[in-house]
Formats: sequence, C-alpha cells, structure tokens
Amino acid sequence: MLNPNQVRKAAQEVVAEMIGKKVGDADYLISSGLIDSLSILKLIGNLENRLSVTIPAGDLQPDDFESVDFITDTVLRVARSR
Amino acid sequence: MDAQSFRELLLSRLQQNRDRVLLRILLSPGAEPVELTGADILSRAPELARRYQAAAESSVVLLLLPHSVELFLLHFGLILEGRLPAILAWPTNRIDPEKYQRNLLHQLRHLPADQLITLPRLATNLAGGVHFPVTECRVENARQLEESFRIPLPLEVPEGEPARPRAGDTPADAIFLQFSGGTTGAQKAVAVTASLLAAQLESLRRCLAFTAEDGVASWLPLYHDMGLIACLWFPLWCGAPSLHFSANDWLLNPELLFRCLDRYRATFCWLPNFAFSYLAAQRGRMKQSYSLGHVRAWINCSEPVRLRSFREFAEAFAPWGVTVESLQASYAMAENIFAVTQTPLGLQPRTFPRSRLRHRAAAFQETAFDLLDDVYVSSGPVLEGMSVRVVNPQGEVCADAEPGNIQLRTECLFSGYWTSGGFITESIVNGWYSTGDYGFLAGEDLYVIGRLKDIIIVGGQNIFPEDVELVVNSIDSIYPGRVVAFGINDEQYGTERLAVVAELRGEFDAGKAEAVERRVHQLVLSTIGIAPRYAAVVPERWIVKSTAGKISRRDTRVRFLRERLNQPQVTAG
Repeated sequence: MLNPNQVRKAAQEVVAEMIGKKVGDADYLISSGLIDSLSILKLIGNLENRLSVTIPAGDLQPDDFESVDFITDTVLRVARSR
Repeated sequence: MDAQSFRELLLSRLQQNRDRVLLRILLSPGAEPVELTGADILSRAPELARRYQAAAESSVVLLLLPHSVELFLLHFGLILEGRLPAILAWPTNRIDPEKYQRNLLHQLRHLPADQLITLPRLATNLAGGVHFPVTECRVENARQLEESFRIPLPLEVPEGEPARPRAGDTPADAIFLQFSGGTTGAQKAVAVTASLLAAQLESLRRCLAFTAEDGVASWLPLYHDMGLIACLWFPLWCGAPSLHFSANDWLLNPELLFRCLDRYRATFCWLPNFAFSYLAAQRGRMKQSYSLGHVRAWINCSEPVRLRSFREFAEAFAPWGVTVESLQASYAMAENIFAVTQTPLGLQPRTFPRSRLRHRAAAFQETAFDLLDDVYVSSGPVLEGMSVRVVNPQGEVCADAEPGNIQLRTECLFSGYWTSGGFITESIVNGWYSTGDYGFLAGEDLYVIGRLKDIIIVGGQNIFPEDVELVVNSIDSIYPGRVVAFGINDEQYGTERLAVVAELRGEFDAGKAEAVERRVHQLVLSTIGIAPRYAAVVPERWIVKSTAGKISRRDTRVRFLRERLNQPQVTAG
C-alpha cells in the first residue's frame, strides 16, 4: 500500500531531477513547458523505479502528470505493486 | 490529368474496393476502430461534405478538427465535391486555449480561404474575426476538447479588415492544399494537383512494389505530408487498408503501434527518426510481445536518418521479428508531394563515413546545425522520373561525396505556395528547385546531412526560429530584438530539442531571470506548440553578434553549448 507522503516526496524528487530545480507542488509542469511530451514516459519510468511500482500509462493522459499534486493523485490511483 | 479526371479515378477505385475495408480509424486506445469500406467512403464522405460545405466549387475549405472519422471523411468528401480542403494542425492538449485561439485568429485573418470547418465552440469563438464562414462540425468524443475552448467571449478581434481571398489563385487542377510549415505568422501550403499526386503515388507504388495485400498503420497527423500522403492516400490509392490513431495516444502508449501492426498485419510503417529511438527506449515498458516479422518496411523519413536510432530499434525488437533489412529510409517533402528517394526494400541502407566527405564549401558556414554522426545513412536513390543534384554556392554541380545544396527536378514538383498573399509561384530555375537541405550524393545514393535554412526539426516537426523569436520578443522584460532560438541534438531520442536564449532588459537579477525563463517556456509552448528544452534568460550583450553587428544564431548556440551545457568541444565550423 503506497503512502501518500512517500508518493509526493518521490514525485517532488523525480521532477526536480528532471528539470534541474525544485518546483511547487501545484506548479504546472507540462503546459508550462518545463517537461515536454517526449519526457512524460521517462518521468513515469523514474517514478516506477523510485517507488517499485508499475504505472500503466496506456489509459492515462499527459494532464495526469501536470503537477506534483496531479502526479501524486495519479500514482495513488493507478499504481500497482511489482 | 485534370482534377475532374482524378476525381473520377478516385471514385472508380473506391467503387472497385466497395466491399473492402480501406480505412480503420482508432478513436481511443481501448476501443475498436471504426472501419470504412470503399462503399462507406463513397456514400458518407460526399454526404458529410455537402452537409457542411458553404463555399463555392474550387474554393479553399480549411479543416481544423481533432483526430476523428469526420476529419478523414471531410477531406475526401470535399475533394469529391470539387472543393480544396486544407487540413490545419490541431493543437496538442497542452496548449493554452486562449493564446492558441488568438494566434489562430491572427493566422486565419491572413489566409485567403473561403470557409473554415471546426468544432462548434471554436467556430463560435472565431466566427466574428474572419472574413469567411465558419461552420460548426460536431465530432464524436470531443466534449473534453470542446470544454478546453470555453473562454470568456468575445475573443478580442484585431483591428483592421481581414485579408480577402484572391480568386483563381490556385492551379486549375489543384485538389487539396498541404501546409508545409510556419507556426505563427508564415503559414504556407503546397497546392497538390491531380497530376502531381497521381505521379507521386504511382512512382511510390512501383518503387515499393506495394499492392492491395499490403497495409499501413500510422499515428502521424494528417496535416503532415507523411501522415496524409504516405499513410492515407498511398494505401487507399492502391486499394490497401490503413489504420490511423492519434499521436497523443501513441506518446503515452507507444506499443499501440505494434499492437495495430500485428493485429491488422500491416506491412508498412513510416516514422520520423526520433520515433525509432523513442520506441526502443520504451521497450522495457511494453507489456506484451508482438509479431512484427511481416512488416516489410519501417521507413525513416522527415528527419535526418541516424544509424544509432536504427540500431537501437533493431536490437530492441529483433525478438519480435524486426530485421535490419526491414529498416529503410526516404527523403521526402511536401514540395515534391512526398518522396524523392527511397532505399531499396530488403537491403540495409548504405552508410557513408563522415571522415570520407570531401571538403565542406566555405560559403556554407552559415549552414544550420547538422546532426553529427560518425556515419551518414543513405536515403536511397531517387524515384523513377525524378532527378537530384547537389550544387555548391556558385551553382556548380558538386563532385561525388562533396556536400552542398540539394536540388530537385521531378515530375511531382510543386509550382508554388498558397500563402497570405495568394498563390505565389516558387522560383524554379531550369526545372531545378533548391530544397534548402544540405547533403551529398555518393554513387546513386542521396545522403541528407541537415538544413541550409535555420529550421529546427523537433520530433519530425519543422520549427522556424524566427517564429519562436517573435513570440519571445513580446515579453516585456526581454531586451527587444535580443532573442535567439536554435536546435540542439538530443542523442537519446535522435531528434533536435528547441533552445531559446533571450537577454533580460536592464540590470540582471537571477530571480527575475528565472521567472522570465518560466514565461518563455509557457509562451513558446502555448503559441508554437513545442516546449523549449532550454530557455536561458541572460544578461544584456550575452548573445553573440557577427562582425557586421548581426545576431549570430550559430555563434550564440556555440556559446550556449560551451557555457551552459558544458560542451567545450563544440565549434562553429
């Protein structure tokens, strides 16, 4: 069972690594151009490794990864243990 | 062949295949595709066109619709009804709806079109600002897209009279228009005529030995020549089925392409170079295994072909039947309707070591940045009925393996662009068209190195640096005119990434610069549709000028790579 705080922390760290700086949890990542569309699957892969889960991306939309808040919700909703 | 003869031929081919599924349109990854036989297209396409068309015969009808059955049917229906459809790029769902619509309105006011067909809410928002009728077209599953265009009305309409269309602008045998570039101001389209299209499709059919038993699967959008000509028109012309889904669905679900190729036994797949690397990088995420040994050709097109991308793809998917012999390359452009060259099927494309290139002509120092590899991959010999030559800056034909400007003389060559100023004939000297691409011939094979023009190719999409610079220049805190956009190689995905450098006006403040960098990211994405990978707001006088006092994109790029990305080995030459 994933802990929301653990997921949020992982999301914050993965995002910060990818864009080279910390952002606020509500800051837009994709529509602001900080993360581009080709990098979304990389972000998902990094989250999976960090949390040891599988995130089925096939039915998700880029909007589901729009901010740390959204990422946290999405991971908690769809992630499955490996 | 005139337009009427072409329409009759198209009708007869649809009639011949009236019981055969020619089109499969997948509207969402989990759904079953909508299947259209020749008879379905024959009955539904003209009916839909008649329902929506509001412009006279031979007039230009813009189609601004998301991936949908209606988009496909209206394209064919309008052609069969004697109109000239032109498919506009549908925005990504990351774009800011309000800015997008303002930019769109600006573009539409300067296009000499006769009608726009789009989603109802967009139609409502745009109708007051353009000189032609805007018609609502309802599309299945578009409610969410419609919601995104819910903005406070009225949309601000720019002052001044919109441009008026000029009668009789396009060639008499034109059948549709294909946009070839320009994201903000400089929209231009190639007029695709009956004779050019028929010549291209027949030439490609002979070269690929393509038959009705083949098939195509594609996520490429129809506003791109590869999506429209290679993946839609070509199979349909040959009586073969094609399957289409949206690029957005593919990005987060790359294996959808393999699922479709496998399930529908599609034998051809056109992809831009980056997609080969992207698919290979996602191999570990793919849940199922697929049978791909039946795919006759994976054709790398629309970006310079990179050996590394091919190798990654072949290694990743060899267990599923992908062979190096099935990896092919083509050099294509909308100005030639589509393909100019094609590597022979069943053979690995030839390569040419970079070290064996003859000298690079001094006058090409302003060449945009080529994609560096140890070897260049051949794009193949020219198609039947076409000629290619490479010339130096003096206009002299280059020797074998000597790079220069690629020129074409072909039976598919366009005659001009349809632009805001009407139809403008392109300068073609003695039948030769200068492509602006930089490359060389070695034996019969053409090798494309990069661009002479400053075009950035991001994921197969052409971005004009001037467009990006214009947008960024509108930010108040930026020193006016001191903005440079350029491309940077992305080794991982075998494409380019967009970089923007802009000078902060007044005393430099790091906090303020960071805030402006965010603004640059957001503004470029919302108006151009591509997120810059790098946005650097720098102090005044950081951007490099030439000795003549002109801003140098090339030297600024070199400085950026050295100082910001720590690549000291980069040189301007």
